[in-house]
Amino acid sequence: MSPEEVGDCMRRYEVMVILDPDLEERTVAPSLETFLNVVKQDGGQVDKVDIWGRRRMAYEINHKPEGIYAVLEVTSSPAAVAELDRQLNLNEAVIRTKVTRSAGT
Amino acid sequence: MANDRKKERSNKRAELKRIPKPGACIFCKDDAQPIDYKETGMLRKYISDRGKIRARRVTGCCTQHQREIATAVKNAREMALLPYTATVR
Repeated sequence: MSPEEVGDCMRRYEVMVILDPDLEERTVAPSLETFLNVVKQDGGQVDKVDIWGRRRMAYEINHKPEGIYAVLEVTSSPAAVAELDRQLNLNEAVIRTKVTRSAGT
Repeated sequence: MANDRKKERSNKRAELKRIPKPGACIFCKDDAQPIDYKETGMLRKYISDRGKIRARRVTGCCTQHQREIATAVKNAREMALLPYTATVR
């Protein structure tokens, strides 16, 4: 596939986000929702938002032993996911993100 | 001291001897689940108690799946699901 074709094709992605454990857990869902607007406005769709909740991390990040984990499954263009990832990383409440292509696409 | 070293060497030899049968890769079976970095319980079997990735001669996996396991463990480490290092209990 040429780079031009990749530009408008839709793909399934999985974005894992670790959020600051000092956040209130009920504010997590709405704030993720606002982040996902980037994908929706680009014509992509959100397949699943799975909030794991507070979880102990294998090692401390930013001197914090816990993190709020969430997994977002989206179908969108590569550019929209890149923008989503960029905006997540700009936010101070986001400790870490990981974008992976879901299997089978 | 010298005795310890001898013991260590024989342990290593025992590990080397544990060569799995060909076709023992559990991920090559038809009903196998794809390897996912989020399944920490499954991946824990493929790291030592120090947190290191187990060698193929120990896991018995084929080249392709061993590589997938290694990538999955590394992804899980980045997301703090698995440790980079762990002290021996």
